Amino acid sequence: MLARLLAYSLTNFPMIKFENVIKTYNNQRALDGINLQVHHGEFISLVGLSGAGKSTLLKLIIGEEQIDGGKILIDEIDISKVKKGDLPYLRRKIGMVFQDIKLLPKATAFENISFAMEVCGHSKEKIKEEVPKILELVGLEKKSNSFPHEMSGGEKQRVAIARALSHRPVLLLADEPTGNLDEVNASEVLDLLLKINQLGTTVILATHAVDLVNKIKKRVITIEDGKITMEQEQGRYRL
Amino acid sequence: MLDSISFFRVVKAGLTNFARNIWLSVAATMVMTITLVIFGTLFLLFILTNYSLSTIKNTVDISVYFKSGLGEDQITKIKNDTSADPKVKEVVYVSATDAFNNFKIAHQSDPLITQSLNELNDNPLPATLHIKTYQLDDYPAVAQKLESDQYKDFIDKVNYEDNRAIIDRLNKILKFIIAFGIGLVVVFSIIAILVIFNTIALTIYNRKEEVEIMRLVGATNWYIRGPFLTESTLYSIFSTIISGALFVPVFTKILPKITEYVNPQVNVYSHNIFNFWYLVLILFVLAMVLSTVSTMLAIRKYLKI
Repeated sequence: MLARLLAYSLTNFPMIKFENVIKTYNNQRALDGINLQVHHGEFISLVGLSGAGKSTLLKLIIGEEQIDGGKILIDEIDISKVKKGDLPYLRRKIGMVFQDIKLLPKATAFENISFAMEVCGHSKEKIKEEVPKILELVGLEKKSNSFPHEMSGGEKQRVAIARALSHRPVLLLADEPTGNLDEVNASEVLDLLLKINQLGTTVILATHAVDLVNKIKKRVITIEDGKITMEQEQGRYRL
Repeated sequence: MLDSISFFRVVKAGLTNFARNIWLSVAATMVMTITLVIFGTLFLLFILTNYSLSTIKNTVDISVYFKSGLGEDQITKIKNDTSADPKVKEVVYVSATDAFNNFKIAHQSDPLITQSLNELNDNPLPATLHIKTYQLDDYPAVAQKLESDQYKDFIDKVNYEDNRAIIDRLNKILKFIIAFGIGLVVVFSIIAILVIFNTIALTIYNRKEEVEIMRLVGATNWYIRGPFLTESTLYSIFSTIISGALFVPVFTKILPKITEYVNPQVNVYSHNIFNFWYLVLILFVLAMVLSTVSTMLAIRKYLKI
């Protein structure tokens, strides 16, 4: 399975394919018949009001939630059939960032990133070599020894993105990454996501920030009440 | 499952868990130690009672004292008659001369006895048969047969000490130890499991953020569970060491005395009735079983993987 995941960029089929996906929480349909294809190298904005089903959709991709109907194929592999013990290996190929950032509060920027590499079994030498490079990529090489409480919201989110990038994922999922940030910090984070996309990583950005989406001018998918109501190439935020 | 780098990191995280909640860890270790000490004590009592029982069973025999001046052929006949009985396991003949010599050798260090013996013209000791049967319950019948009229003219006395009452009592004690012991061990095992379960649950709660991040960045399930299992293994190791240390004086001071009392023929230096390290091993296995069970329960309930 790993080998097939690594072969992503060499293939023609969509990276992610949702086929009539249904997800229910307590008899309420969070996702109701979602059909969606995401191709390699795309940047997709997933827009909709809070509770529309954006986060649920992302959680299904990393296998944190199970679907109640339909099928999700990642690189032609049905992820409902991936064994629980193999999910970590899937997650190493998919980076994820959140609105609440989720950094270890008592660890520096460097340590937060090295922690992610440690738990996946990378050697100390490799970690020492890689972390500064990733920090440079997100423009935080000077904040290596800063603790989360010493950084701005945007910087913290960039550390989180750096952490997500530490496994060189083929796909980056960002769930409201700018939700708690002011305009300047938000656009910094967005610029970083666009840069990562340019370097070849597929990005799915779930957000309800109108300004950001309008600035990106890439594919926009609108979700309302668990259904996809609009798909635009180079779209704008409309609800 | 885990490569060596990950294994090292998991153990390190487990040690950190143990040290971070040091008082909780101490409490969990103590409860486990109490459980092990109770188990170990009852286990030794069981072994000891069992040992006493088999020793006593072994010492039971019938001694037949012949009248003096009896011909060897008559004695041999009686010996063969007795041996022919299918209930009889073993018949040992000690002649009067042998008995006298044995007695002399046994008491050579006692000048009073040696002196008295030297003053004797005659051998006062009779020729003897020592008889053992296969079954404990067969002794009375064999003894009775030898006391019958048939042998009245040859046999002076049949000495048979009926130890069955003592053996019965020991059997009862053994049964009591088993029943009472199992009950007590079960109760304390449950307490130990509950305490460790709660300790691990608390550690999981304290490390909630870390676990969530580990999961998101793709740590394997065993990598996430590992530190908690390491923590509980530490409880097992420490409680085994403490309870083992508590049993050291029992093995060096108390057990040899009891063994010697029960069976004086045992060479004090040769062995204890039970190997100390076996006991330590048994205690460790018990501790590992209890701590692993409770940790897996806590992980299943509280650790979302």
